[in-house]
Amino acid sequence: MTVAALLAFDRVSVVFGGQVQALDDITLEVRKGEIVGVVGESGSGKSTLCRVLVGLMAPTSGTVSVGGVAVRTQLTQHRLAFRRRIQMLLQDAVASLSPRMTIGRALEEPMAIHSLPRAEARARLAEILRRLGLARDVLTKFPHQISGGQARRIGVARALVLGPEIIVADEPTAGLDVSVQGELLNLLLDLQRDFGLTYLMVSHNLNLIRRVTGRIVVMYLGQIVEEAPTRELFDAPAHPYAAALISTNPAVDPDKRLRQIVLQGEMPSAVNPPSGCRFHTRCPVAQPRCSVEPPALAEIGAGHRVRCHFPYSLDPRRH
Amino acid sequence: MTPPLVSIRNLTLEAATARGTAHILRGVDLDIGRGRIVGVVGESGSGKSSLASCLLRLLPTNVSRIDGQIVFDGTDLNALDDAAMNDFRGKRIAMIFQDPMTALNPLFTIGTHLVDVLRRRHPGLARDEAMARASAALVSVGIGDAPLRLRSYPHQLSGGMRQRVMIAMALAVEPDLLLADECTTALDATVEAQIVALLEGLSRGFDGSIVFISHHLGLVAQLCDDLCVMYAGTIVESGPVAEVLANPRHPYTRALLACELDDHAHGGRLVSIPGEVPDPVALHAACVFAPRCSHAIDACRASIPALREAGPGHRAACIRFEELA
Amino acid sequence: MTAPRSALRLLRRICASFTGTTGFVIVAIVLVAALFAPWVATTDPDRLDVMNRFAAPSLAHWLGTDHLGRDLYSRLVHGTTVAMSVALSSIAIAFCVGTLLGVVAAYLPPRLERLVLIVFDVIASFPSMVLALAIVAVFGPSTLIVVIIVAVTLIPHFGRVARGQVLSLKSAPFLEAERILGASFPRIVLHHLLPNILGPLVILASMDIPVVITIEAGLSFLGLGVRPPLASWGTLIQDGYQYLSDSWVPVVVASLALAVATLGFTLFGEALRDAVDPRIGRER
Repeated sequence: MTVAALLAFDRVSVVFGGQVQALDDITLEVRKGEIVGVVGESGSGKSTLCRVLVGLMAPTSGTVSVGGVAVRTQLTQHRLAFRRRIQMLLQDAVASLSPRMTIGRALEEPMAIHSLPRAEARARLAEILRRLGLARDVLTKFPHQISGGQARRIGVARALVLGPEIIVADEPTAGLDVSVQGELLNLLLDLQRDFGLTYLMVSHNLNLIRRVTGRIVVMYLGQIVEEAPTRELFDAPAHPYAAALISTNPAVDPDKRLRQIVLQGEMPSAVNPPSGCRFHTRCPVAQPRCSVEPPALAEIGAGHRVRCHFPYSLDPRRH
Repeated sequence: MTPPLVSIRNLTLEAATARGTAHILRGVDLDIGRGRIVGVVGESGSGKSSLASCLLRLLPTNVSRIDGQIVFDGTDLNALDDAAMNDFRGKRIAMIFQDPMTALNPLFTIGTHLVDVLRRRHPGLARDEAMARASAALVSVGIGDAPLRLRSYPHQLSGGMRQRVMIAMALAVEPDLLLADECTTALDATVEAQIVALLEGLSRGFDGSIVFISHHLGLVAQLCDDLCVMYAGTIVESGPVAEVLANPRHPYTRALLACELDDHAHGGRLVSIPGEVPDPVALHAACVFAPRCSHAIDACRASIPALREAGPGHRAACIRFEELA
Repeated sequence: MTAPRSALRLLRRICASFTGTTGFVIVAIVLVAALFAPWVATTDPDRLDVMNRFAAPSLAHWLGTDHLGRDLYSRLVHGTTVAMSVALSSIAIAFCVGTLLGVVAAYLPPRLERLVLIVFDVIASFPSMVLALAIVAVFGPSTLIVVIIVAVTLIPHFGRVARGQVLSLKSAPFLEAERILGASFPRIVLHHLLPNILGPLVILASMDIPVVITIEAGLSFLGLGVRPPLASWGTLIQDGYQYLSDSWVPVVVASLALAVATLGFTLFGEALRDAVDPRIGRER
């Protein structure tokens, strides 16, 4: 890989209140034009990862950089330029809109903030609204009067007016019915193709991640436990947690259904994470070594890293 | 053939809103067989949760009309007064909600919750005996340290644990019918798998029927015996799960299946259903799905299609399903 | 949307309910009386007519006269001016300063925030009458002193509510979304935070108006506020109370004015709160 990374996390940790380790030693690179998915359960640190990337939160240690320059530096020196470069779609689309502002005014916010040339920005916005299939009458409504799907599209439109290179999407289909989520994802994929955007997409919906991403990062208790090209991960997950997560996703077609690996217990607290491998308390194939020695995130193939002493020991395909 | 446990006929539910009368259920016909697990799927606004509310008659105050029959083991629930209905609620019909935190009283321990349920079911049950049964109920849903958990308050338990408690409470009632409304939606994937595995295991030892309401087709396919697809307050297709999913007859069911982001080839266009869910205030004199259906013809817009036999136990409300097969 | 038209729309929404209309009518009457007192009044409120003490209501004196034969109606109208100017100016000061301090406190580091809260507590725990006595002892009684004392004692009131509102909204997704869009901190506070915290503060202000009127009356009664012969509702009640055995009219009339104004501002405040919140009232 000689292409310089567009997004880079270099040994990033986030600790809340001196105790809760939300992110632990995250190192991750995303190249221009990639779609990278982040999966994990609540408490795995995937939302914190996004928030640190867009500068809503400062890392306790380590550096997050965009285009080779640290986010902190960009925020203090070129805040507006940085914001135009990277945009984020928040999980709750309706609550992301100012409750006392009409949709029309909310859509003009980015132009006002960045003092974009009005005529040009309006034309761009009109084009985006047309592509998003948003009716004009939405503009006079308030956030509580529109549907979740409309709010999603307005969030996308607002981000796109700024012409970002990178979009961070936290659960982009949350609250959407299956009949409309395809439409939104198609749109995001079209935009990616047309404008060469880079996406970091967080979701608990494995089917979605599998369908749209090229590379996946699996997180557990603030750590990256596996990172692999999407197809490789779904075909042969190396980490037992990734294997379990994939197996619990029931397919409609009984022939494609995997043997379910049902994990015991729930994710431990990040205040007092387990010794050794953080997953050993729930791992069906844990060995004595796992509770003592924390495994490192080791490269086991091209672009494939895993944090496990015994990779490939749990296979959901083996009946 | 034994008669079904519940036989719903022409169930109609209307509610008054600021914009007019909302038609929440538009004449639902459904049989729930004894010992069967019936999955009800549909998008938001399809009326799947309202169906459960009707069975328990826990309805919001703006309901203006409820019509039709819900024959539960020979008794029409819609004809009962509230006092008589109380003999069914929490005795013969139990429910597991989506959010256990709101369904459990934060001031009472888990033990108190379970004992209350047991004593309501078996008046005169001694407290010690009730406690022993409560403890056994927790063990049966996979909660190991039952004596400790009986003394815990709801906020001291994790989400998955609370949902297990809800299931234990529902099963302690020994109901004939168990309603589960999106009971795993709020849970994380690995915990959801635990709860589904638990329900699967319990259903074998449980001779009542289960209505499993979910928007997750994969989950329903895995857990249920029968499937019922709802759209805009009507049932568009019902039948044995494997049969309906392998051989869907209604265009809406097909479209819904096509929207599933299963392991299709990477990079292709994703499928969605064009148009929007119909306004609940609008009245229909035609097929409710016709405006979004790619196969709709003039006849579809002329009258409301009835549920017709499409195979053994398989019914679909589409006038064209033979020719589209 | 032009300003007059949005004001008109707001008014229409306030008057959508019976209570809102009642509140608006009372507030309008009180404000007109306060603003145009010299024209609304029938005579000079300070004109003595000792021969005509405690006259019964008549065409010449609509509400009769007081113990010095002054026209009660005219004094009541002029009292409105005093009551309103004291109430509105002191509340305006307390509203602005309190809200500013509350918002700032919510964004300060915990240590400094606690300092602001301690200042609020000290002010709130200090009896306003003692404060008033001390200040009057230094500067002598005047209407301005009343305004300052009342404003200072109300600042913690607004500050605490403003801080609580900010804390509950601080991490709201819509504020985060603005940060992501690149909005500056002042823009987020002025355009997005303030409009969403003003509702409770506005109703607090309208509920405080009658409280301030009574505080002013109390201070005036003690001779620490409005100086005679200037008429205020407080001095009217006080004067009437002293001569209650001669006539009950002055006390009842002045108290009634106070009670009706209290009710009016409260109803108006509630209707205003509902009207500015697009989430309430639209569906009903």
